[in-house]
Amino acid sequence: MTPTPPALIARNLTKIYGEGDLLVTAVHDVDLEVARGEVVLIMGPSGSGKTTLLSMLGGMLRPTSGTVVVDDVDLTTTRERDLPRLRVHKLGFVFQDFNLLSALSALENVELALNLANVTGADATRRARDLLERFGLGERLDFVPGNLSGGEKQRVAIARSLANDPAVVLADEPTANLDSKIGHEIAQLLRQLAIEEQRSIVLVSHDPRLKEVADRVLWLEDGTFKDLARMTTDPVCGMAVAQQDGPHFQFDGTTWWFCASSCRDEFADDAQRFAERARATA
Amino acid sequence: MTRSVPLARRNLFQDPRRAALAVAGVAVSLVLVLVLDGVFAGAVRQVTAYLRNVPADLIVSQQGVRTMHMSASALPDGSIERVRGISGVAWVEGIRFTTATVRAGAGRQLSYVIGYDTDTGRGGPSSVANGASPGPGQAVIDEVAADELGIGVGDKIRVLGRPFTVSGLSEGGTSITNTTTFIRNADFAEVRGPSLSYLLLGTEPGVKVTGVARRLEREISDVTVQSKEEFVEQEGLIMKDMSADIMQIMSIIAFAIALAVVALTLFTATLSKLREYAVVKALGAPSSRLARTLLVQATWSVMLALILAVALSFAAAALVAAITPNVLLRIETVAIARVAVAALVVGTLGALVPLRRIVRLDPASAFQT
Repeated sequence: MTPTPPALIARNLTKIYGEGDLLVTAVHDVDLEVARGEVVLIMGPSGSGKTTLLSMLGGMLRPTSGTVVVDDVDLTTTRERDLPRLRVHKLGFVFQDFNLLSALSALENVELALNLANVTGADATRRARDLLERFGLGERLDFVPGNLSGGEKQRVAIARSLANDPAVVLADEPTANLDSKIGHEIAQLLRQLAIEEQRSIVLVSHDPRLKEVADRVLWLEDGTFKDLARMTTDPVCGMAVAQQDGPHFQFDGTTWWFCASSCRDEFADDAQRFAERARATA
Repeated sequence: MTRSVPLARRNLFQDPRRAALAVAGVAVSLVLVLVLDGVFAGAVRQVTAYLRNVPADLIVSQQGVRTMHMSASALPDGSIERVRGISGVAWVEGIRFTTATVRAGAGRQLSYVIGYDTDTGRGGPSSVANGASPGPGQAVIDEVAADELGIGVGDKIRVLGRPFTVSGLSEGGTSITNTTTFIRNADFAEVRGPSLSYLLLGTEPGVKVTGVARRLEREISDVTVQSKEEFVEQEGLIMKDMSADIMQIMSIIAFAIALAVVALTLFTATLSKLREYAVVKALGAPSSRLARTLLVQATWSVMLALILAVALSFAAAALVAAITPNVLLRIETVAIARVAVAALVVGTLGALVPLRRIVRLDPASAFQT
């Protein structure tokens, strides 16, 4: 039996902005494979190249070098004018802040994505309604985003991302701006989509709660994936941080790592409490 | 075509107040164009009212003279007899014409003064609302002018430097520029001499008017012969020539205002939705689709504005008619069609600036917070 190829393959992906003294390497020589049905969480500090990587994986940004293959189609050799059509059919997007179109109802937001794939009229309405009902939004079809809660908006956004049955869903901070309960629900929903529909899901997030639904967690820093074994969680703010060269503090025989010196100072003021809480969470 | 999500319409009406302001702004500009055009069309209609109502098939004037307005025509002696002798001519009537001031007390009105044969009535007022045709030393003036001069039947006026008594009041002879006064041919000749200004002629039943005109031109070389319709058209053209520049400038200003309103509205609306457009692009919409959305939005704006402008223009026409009967505001279908086309052009141009922003919009910006 031939093994199923990964839904998403990135090889030696590099993106360099500017030139000369202003040259910035946002992503450097990144390799990534995401199998069908797999959830990959990419974490990393601000400015680490997550958005650039996501844009390249989503066919919105041409890499300086390297390749991106989505569902057997090489995005890097695809003509510019054909990329929008590929995004419609091969990729689903979930944006931070939901990014629904404010003038459209929940139903129309999903329908619009179908229209882009030339699915219109009753067919589009039926498919959009089915998706929204599946995510428990059957009573909210005609609500505009302004009248939906954060969790509902994100579920509409997920429904929209699935409208054209993509092989890969790219989600940027899907749990940002959601409280922990709703964030947990959204995370579970994404996990469920991967398992039940064999979709590959790439999550980019600062939220360590998403680790629980991820098959793999990758740490992106300075444009390259770092050894995750060296990653830990800031016991104050919960952010993932590298166990090297950053602010740290010795307490109770353990070295604690922080995202910033302010977190370290806060920890130092009440180390016992933070340490107990961190051990309980772990 | 199967229905798609009407993104353009939804975007346009998402903020009803902004949409209403934009539509109203464009509508006001279009009203200005329609009203200007209406005033002009009304003036042409009024100025040509006399000509349209005379019973003639052909009008003969001095060689090279093709209008009454801003013209003086003096026909050579014996013209009427020569015309009468042409085959196919049923009747010929000579009229005398000049432009003069009609005075009554301290009031004055610029007027066409027409001398005609009161026995046949040809070339006289098409209808006399009050009183009778003029007798010796009498005149018929238009009822609107009479009202403005504060006079009625039996009152005295001065025309061509001599007094006349008003014998009757005619209808439809006052325009934005002047009025019309009718006197007997003999009274006119007494003051201005015997020359006739124009000949009105009717053709025999079954005879082709164009054939008679050709014969007249062939056999009488020192006159100009036009059908009534041609004469009316020439009269309209001279009006147009006189006011074309100012009309054009005003129309250009009005369209420029409409363009600015459409462009500004679309631009601000687009700027406020750049993130959303980036999302649609990220989802896979090509720039052409977003361009279409913008153009549809612009079309909706200008078409709604046009409907509002037409309604307001007709209301203005009714209001003007009620307030000043000597001004006719005539909103013609052809003017509406012309303004509609121009409005669409304005809408398209107005969409160009935001269109440029959208085409250059980076879909990856949908990922940025």
